[in-house]
Amino acid sequence: MQTYGGFLRRYLAPQAGAVAAMAVLLLGSIGLQLAGPQVIRRFIEAGTPGRAALPELIQWAILFMVVTTAARAVRAMAAYWSERVAWAATNALRIDLLDHLLRLDLSFHKDRTAGELIERVDGDTGALAGFFSRMVVQFLGSGLLMAGILVSLALIDLWLGLGFAAFIILTIMLLNWLRARSVPRRAAAREKQAQVYGLLSEVLSATEDLQSSGAGAHALRRFTERLQEWFPAHRVAELSGSLVWVAGLAAFAAADGVAYLLGGRLFLIGRISLGTLFLVAAYAGQLAQPIETIRREMQELQRAGAGLARVRELFAIRPRVAEGSGLLPAGPLGVAFQGVSFAYEDGVPVLDRLTFGLAPGQVLGVVGRTGSGKSTLARLLVRQIDPTGGRVLVGGVDLRTLAFSSLRSRVAMVTQEVQLFAATLRENLTLFDPSVPDERLRDVLAQLGLGAWSLDAQVAPGSLSAGEAQLLAFARVFLGDPGLIILDEASSRLDPETEARLDEALSRLLDGRTAIIIAHRPATLRHAHAMLEVTSA
Amino acid sequence: MKMSQMMRKVIGYQWGLYTLSAVGWLLFHAWPLLPGLVAKAYFDRMEAGPAGKGVVVWFALLAVAVGAGRALVTLGGIYFHLPYRYRVQKLIQGNLLHRVLARPGARALPATVGDAISTLRDDVNTVMDAVDLSFDGLAGLLYAGGCVAVLLGVDWQVTLLVFVPIGLVIGLAHAVRVRQVKVREESRASTARLTGALGEIFGGVQALQVAGAEGRAVGYIRALGDARQAAALRERRQALTLEAVFENTAGLGAGLVLLVAAGKIAAGTFSVGDLALFTGYLVDVAGFTGFLGFIINTYRQGGVSLGRLVGLLQGAPAERLVAVEPGGAPGSAGVARLERLEVRNLTCRPGASDRGITDISFAVARGSFTVITGRVGAGKSTLVRAILGLLEPQAGEVRWNGERVERLEPPRVAYTAQVPTLLSGTLRENILLGWPAAPGALDRAIRSAVLEQDLAGFPQGLETPIGTRGLKLSGGQVQRTAAARMFVRDAELLIFDDLSSALDAETEALLWQRVRERNATCLVVSNRPGALALADQVLHLEEGRLVSGTY
Repeated sequence: MQTYGGFLRRYLAPQAGAVAAMAVLLLGSIGLQLAGPQVIRRFIEAGTPGRAALPELIQWAILFMVVTTAARAVRAMAAYWSERVAWAATNALRIDLLDHLLRLDLSFHKDRTAGELIERVDGDTGALAGFFSRMVVQFLGSGLLMAGILVSLALIDLWLGLGFAAFIILTIMLLNWLRARSVPRRAAAREKQAQVYGLLSEVLSATEDLQSSGAGAHALRRFTERLQEWFPAHRVAELSGSLVWVAGLAAFAAADGVAYLLGGRLFLIGRISLGTLFLVAAYAGQLAQPIETIRREMQELQRAGAGLARVRELFAIRPRVAEGSGLLPAGPLGVAFQGVSFAYEDGVPVLDRLTFGLAPGQVLGVVGRTGSGKSTLARLLVRQIDPTGGRVLVGGVDLRTLAFSSLRSRVAMVTQEVQLFAATLRENLTLFDPSVPDERLRDVLAQLGLGAWSLDAQVAPGSLSAGEAQLLAFARVFLGDPGLIILDEASSRLDPETEARLDEALSRLLDGRTAIIIAHRPATLRHAHAMLEVTSA
Repeated sequence: MKMSQMMRKVIGYQWGLYTLSAVGWLLFHAWPLLPGLVAKAYFDRMEAGPAGKGVVVWFALLAVAVGAGRALVTLGGIYFHLPYRYRVQKLIQGNLLHRVLARPGARALPATVGDAISTLRDDVNTVMDAVDLSFDGLAGLLYAGGCVAVLLGVDWQVTLLVFVPIGLVIGLAHAVRVRQVKVREESRASTARLTGALGEIFGGVQALQVAGAEGRAVGYIRALGDARQAAALRERRQALTLEAVFENTAGLGAGLVLLVAAGKIAAGTFSVGDLALFTGYLVDVAGFTGFLGFIINTYRQGGVSLGRLVGLLQGAPAERLVAVEPGGAPGSAGVARLERLEVRNLTCRPGASDRGITDISFAVARGSFTVITGRVGAGKSTLVRAILGLLEPQAGEVRWNGERVERLEPPRVAYTAQVPTLLSGTLRENILLGWPAAPGALDRAIRSAVLEQDLAGFPQGLETPIGTRGLKLSGGQVQRTAAARMFVRDAELLIFDDLSSALDAETEALLWQRVRERNATCLVVSNRPGALALADQVLHLEEGRLVSGTY
């Protein structure tokens, strides 16, 4: 429960008013629910043969209708308010989680599919929705309703109250025990489910490759296999979860038995009237609702518990690339690699004690066979990864001491793979920054010979050719004012003519800036003042 | 297809398991008839006068036994329901995926991947929920029928009053019907927008990070999240109101029973046992009318989700969703030695823009080497995609030895895309993708793709797992892995879309040399001198038109 506490404080505190409204409504509905059976008891007592008075009976019947209607209306309002609180809280959590995940580096993202992360950010936080709202207040509400019923029963007869209290405690202990057994099973099932949808998102992203490789049937088979792995885990989780619910049903019936036994004895020795016996049975029946609520909320709690555990796991992952606070100077930035080593896997070095320097304003060409570590060099410079040995200096500052905001605004990179978003061209250019004026965007597009493009055009996956996507990536860099530009095979998909046009724009861009151009074709390296050849490790 | 048709098909598919689980749920719903009768018997016995203490013990045990029985039949229903539900899910999701994979590969989805996943996961579940309600509805009828029969026997006048609120409930449900579907659609659409955008953001996370745009992406999602919250709350408000009205109609009915019974009680013709029976059943009926609201609501949500499933089928008949034999595996086999590939008047404009290719005709002879050149956006990739059937051409045709073909796949044609996508898994899995390679074919393919040196550098060799989309591999390694995937299929015609763009000059020369050793027919998109030097035929594209074909 302690682990939930922190989350509650953090996400419910900002909406204290809504939480209070929710609590008041729930308390009101509890009071009205307790009043219902009392009215029926009066009704029965008023109807006892010998003292039957029709006007009094009618008066109680009308009162009963009023009380039930009010109880139902108040309950609906309480439910609505709790939904509101839940949505606001989970939305806030979802945003925090997304923000955290986007700050994690390549070592995290390279092993995870988009589908898997959607399941985490949307699926798991969705399961937490119930936890945020109903959980606490309904747990509390059900507890109070139970307490109210027990006090009413104890006022009739102390042993009656104590008997029911013992019954409730046993029931809740049983349900709790059953619940604890099912939590790990549910977590295992959700893990398998995430794998199913992770595979699915990969398959859906690779339809072109699958069709042209004649591998559609293979993909379907893999999907079926994943589903088959998921089902046994799902079945175990569902059955053990259902046991909690079904045990609740049995306990609900047993409450009638307790009422018949304890109330019946009191009636037989003349301690209570028939109307009161009816009241006892009605209250026993009413216990079903809080037991049911607690059961349901426990199920929510198990789902939320599994979801929360995974969310906490994600929050606990720290980026391997930690942020500093230093700032880069203005103007062109020098670069220095000092004995830099890097390995993606232990024992397989990609770079081994690489040392070189580049003065501000200079352009360095980097060549080497594919797989020789050229792209690694680029990833180090934008801190997608950190070196396993040595230091990388930009503008004379160790990259690890820099604030990301400074690094990102002053060091720009264009890669061969361009990531596009299903959004407008404007959003793709500015990466969701609405503050960039359209004039500036059109200006940059014109420089790259893309003046005919409409900023409002929707960019869909596959609607741009690979070459056009590369031009778009250049446009992103042209919008900023970087002091260091890294081009990693950035023009490899352009035809010679387009490349020539880009070349002209590039000359202007590179003027007064430092640049590292990675390519395997000498032609691309015309701007270079110096060359560096990288060989394997 | 309507929800009711879908229901019949799904039930027919797994009728054995469906019946077993339906019996369990039917008993679960009808069971509350028993405790009501026990209560009436108990109060009648108590009112009747002096009784021994043993009587209350027996009644208590009876009540416990009734509860235990309900628990058992319910567990039984769940036990059979799980495999039933699993098989139906496997069928529907499998059929949808089958259909998506049978679509032209470059236009397989109507919207984003995240959107499609949301449909495959959530909408499939919602439709199955709606189907499951059939036995709940049936059980409701059974239970309500039982209640009415018992109550009519006790007092027909009072019983009739129970039907008044139920009639009101049904009338109300019809009245709000139209509006509810709309609200539901809005809420689902806003969820799909959010998951779609999340998928985009996670897919492009590196671009966002390098540009320092994480914060803005979060803001973008926040706005979509707020919109969804508003839509979802609107939906909940409506559902809760409806539910409250449903339940309270029955609650008022209970009050009416008290009013009508008042006279009879005063006259001594209505016992406390009768009252226990009536109020007991009415609490359950109240619960059930609330449940009826839930059934109607879920059924409608099912209709909305079914529409989205049909949308993902993209034109295929809706029956395909539940077809047990969806018509063979996607893709077609059929070996045919290539003599001549002809492209006649091919026009293809993917998307709404006028860009694409127009009226392209040419032929490729067996054993020849054809190079397609042209500027960025000239339509080179569109041309090869249209030939392969990865895009649907608007006009024209492709002929394989004179026979018209719509899709070209291995073993006829194999292809390496300009930006290949690899899956998570080992290198071997990625190259084979289930292809039954002949002995030695894998090694030959790796050699042709000039991948053998890279492979020697991986400690685990072919069993090296590669990360999501092959991120641990360099750009050139990804392309050469995709090339090996193409070569291993030993196809008659090889199509390369700008394979050399991630290769250094030396590797590229080696690759072309090895391709020539295979004696395959080649169609190559490239602007590089290395490829052009080998060409028997060069096709130059400008703004989607063929401006020259030189031999």
